[in-house]
Amino acid sequence: MPPPNADLAVTWAFLEEGVDHIMTKLQTGVSYSKYMSLYTVAYNYCTLSKMHGTHIESLGMTNRTGASLMGADLYNNLIRYLVAHLKQLRQSTESREDENLLRYYAGEWDRYTTGANYINRLFTYLNRYWVQRERDEGRKGVYPVYTLALVQWRAHLFFPIQQKNTKLASAILRLIEMQRNGETIDQGLVKKVVESFVSLGLDDADINKACLDVYREHFETPFLAATEQYYKQESETFLANNTVSDYLKKAEERLKEEEDRVERYLNTQTRKPLINKCEDVLIRQHAELMWENFQTLLDYDRDEDLQRMYALLSRIPEGLEPLRKKFEEHVKNAGLASISKLVGEDAAGLDGLDPKAYVDALLDVHTKNSDIVTRSFRGEAGFVASLDKACREFINRNSATGTLTSKSPELLSKHADLLLRKNNKLAEEVDLEDALNRLMVLFKYLEDKDVFQTFYTTKLSKRLIHGVSASDESEASMISKLKEACGFEYTNKLQRMFTDMSLSKDLTDAFKDRMQQNHDDMDISFNVMVLGTNFWPLNPPTHDFVIPTEILPTYERFQKYYQTKHSGRKLTWLWNYSKNELRTNYLNQKYILMTSSYQMAILVQYNKNDTLSLDELIAATSVPKDHLIQVLALLVKAKVLVNEETDQYDLNPSFKSKKIRVNLNLPIKTETKAESTEVLKTVDEDRKYVIQATIVRVMKARKTMKNQALIQEVISQITQRFAPKIPDIKKAIDTLLEKEYIERVEGTRDTFAYVA
Amino acid sequence: MAAPATQQIKIRCNDEKEFTVDRDVLERSVLIKNMLEDVTEQQDAPIPLPNVSGPVMAKVLEYCTHHRGEPLPSADTEQSQDETRKRTTDISEWDQKFITVDQEMLFEIILAANYLDIKSLLDVGCKTVANMIKGKTPEEIRKLFNIVNDFTPEEEAQIKKENEWAEDR
Repeated sequence: MPPPNADLAVTWAFLEEGVDHIMTKLQTGVSYSKYMSLYTVAYNYCTLSKMHGTHIESLGMTNRTGASLMGADLYNNLIRYLVAHLKQLRQSTESREDENLLRYYAGEWDRYTTGANYINRLFTYLNRYWVQRERDEGRKGVYPVYTLALVQWRAHLFFPIQQKNTKLASAILRLIEMQRNGETIDQGLVKKVVESFVSLGLDDADINKACLDVYREHFETPFLAATEQYYKQESETFLANNTVSDYLKKAEERLKEEEDRVERYLNTQTRKPLINKCEDVLIRQHAELMWENFQTLLDYDRDEDLQRMYALLSRIPEGLEPLRKKFEEHVKNAGLASISKLVGEDAAGLDGLDPKAYVDALLDVHTKNSDIVTRSFRGEAGFVASLDKACREFINRNSATGTLTSKSPELLSKHADLLLRKNNKLAEEVDLEDALNRLMVLFKYLEDKDVFQTFYTTKLSKRLIHGVSASDESEASMISKLKEACGFEYTNKLQRMFTDMSLSKDLTDAFKDRMQQNHDDMDISFNVMVLGTNFWPLNPPTHDFVIPTEILPTYERFQKYYQTKHSGRKLTWLWNYSKNELRTNYLNQKYILMTSSYQMAILVQYNKNDTLSLDELIAATSVPKDHLIQVLALLVKAKVLVNEETDQYDLNPSFKSKKIRVNLNLPIKTETKAESTEVLKTVDEDRKYVIQATIVRVMKARKTMKNQALIQEVISQITQRFAPKIPDIKKAIDTLLEKEYIERVEGTRDTFAYVA
Repeated sequence: MAAPATQQIKIRCNDEKEFTVDRDVLERSVLIKNMLEDVTEQQDAPIPLPNVSGPVMAKVLEYCTHHRGEPLPSADTEQSQDETRKRTTDISEWDQKFITVDQEMLFEIILAANYLDIKSLLDVGCKTVANMIKGKTPEEIRKLFNIVNDFTPEEEAQIKKENEWAEDR
């Protein structure tokens, strides 16, 4: 070991021997004393004071103030050594090609970087003081020893090799191409060489910062170009000889492979450009062809292929849009075709269209395509929107509805009624709740939700009045579903109807209690429903009615009882909705006759007579002749009365029935037919008010508004109930102008103001 | 690298004095820590420390033993820590007591810390010297460290003028 004050020649001779040992035959080991003496010699040289060394100027530094640090000589000698060392390595690479070259390069890289790490530590003192100071003073091209070694490698080995037809990069690319062709390659080797490219990048400003410039220029760029060329060629050849379905599979596999490739031996930064490139060549270049094949896949339910096509096209911008459009068209057509089939040719099945069959047909199309969206398109929002748009179209307008958007709401509400009725046969097959949920799926798409609401209200009122509802729970569940879909206002009336029902029950009980205390002639059992006029779609009879004496006392007592309880309220008696049960006493067998009020009024006349003429009956009941004849016809048909002579009705003394309870209260035909038109008329009327009310509400909030904006706002507010027509809105605006709720702003042609 | 904490390492100073020390104590010296990582000696030969004498090493080891287990400054945090470290001349109580030695020993410890790459000890040493200088005139400093004034009067006047701004007034 040289003495502490040895000069450069002696010092470097000693150090060079050690450095060379470490760089070339580290595997033979280093001892503590060797290590320590190398460190100490380097340390001693660096800490020599200025007086002993005068070599500083050789690096071109002058006029430094304060204490100078030794080190430039060691640093320069180190460079000289590394250059010479690398020159030897370079000579050995000249005869090598491809894998042989890569192997040699990788092996030497390993040895070199390991050695450089040792040297770096042995020269810690040089790094800590001399190099640090040089860098602090802004000198370029001075690096810590390890970095210096990499810089030298790059300049004296890497660049020279690459200059010969990018020998290194080409060798890697050839290996990768072999792997793409299905051959097995040494991935670890590729990884090592590629990593060396990354390590050789150097950010001069901050040496600790990763810098990929060498990797990008010498590997990534040519790699991407090669990739593009390879897949362009492959995809074209493949598609020329195979189906699109097969291609989808192939493209999917290739993309996966490339992702794995990055994972296995490339820098992660390459993932994005590589995958972008692959997506461009493998998908975008062939997108047209995929779009064209989409319909075929839909037609043949090729789930997996659809899934694949979706997954591939979702990777490129705008790749899915054509699919969404085609899918929408496909669903719409499927829906229309399904209903056309149900209706039959020439609209033969239109009249007797079964609500259940109709609902099922719509649901089938929806379910099938909704499944496709979930399964093949991963529930992607764009496809959900396409599905919704298509469903809205075919559910509201199809060959069963024609142009009437009120038809579907009517059929749906009828179906709901059938489901919710007692003893319905439909719900035996499936759970009622489930059936209601399925109905709600369709409900969501209805444009005229107000039509549904009106029909539903009518049907519900019937179910409640006649007590034929399947269960309160199911009714409540359906209402809460509607509420969830359309808000509180939509179901407000429906809920009030239920309230009325339960109040009526309490009222009946209270009335009975009271009567039992005050009277003892309570041989008539009486139940009453008091229903709010505004909530129930019920109309009072349009004609007079003579209340039979038999029930008159009860009628008057209740009237009085109610008035004392709620003075000021007006009771309207809906005889046309009431029903009665009569016991027979004139026959051997006692029967219970279930009747309507009018039938009851007729039958009680026979308590005193056996034969009555039509005129006598008219006089006794005040029911108009036309209606009375229809009521009588039902009684004759049931053989309670006998009509042997014109306009004369006799009590049938030999009436017989298999059942003890005989239901005479059957619907009269004209009533049922009138119902639908009645409902639609109500709806039209309601809409006028809804539109007007909405306009007023909007105007009140905004004070002034332009015509166009007002119409837009009104439409957007009303759409969830029904689709308002623009002429109707204009008409409503005119009406409101007339009524002076709003006025035109002076000097403008299309601006309105709210009149407070 | 997870060597058992009890591993004993032998070192030999330039006066042949040998110490056997727990590895983690010794690894306060970055030099020795690096070397132990890099070199695996077959026999447990002592590590030669040609620039440190036995008495100095004893002091250094006293310091290392006291501070064993504390985190070593890593390359990342070094920069920011450097700033605060440089600005203060505070020394902890134990370190203060430890470094209360004669001047010759003080400089020996500083040299050893520099050589062995024990940054915190180097700091303690240098701060102590700085505290000795603080508030003294050049004459007093020369006297304190036994320095011969080798400036000519002209040179000295020039330097004084240049550094006027730093005068404590």
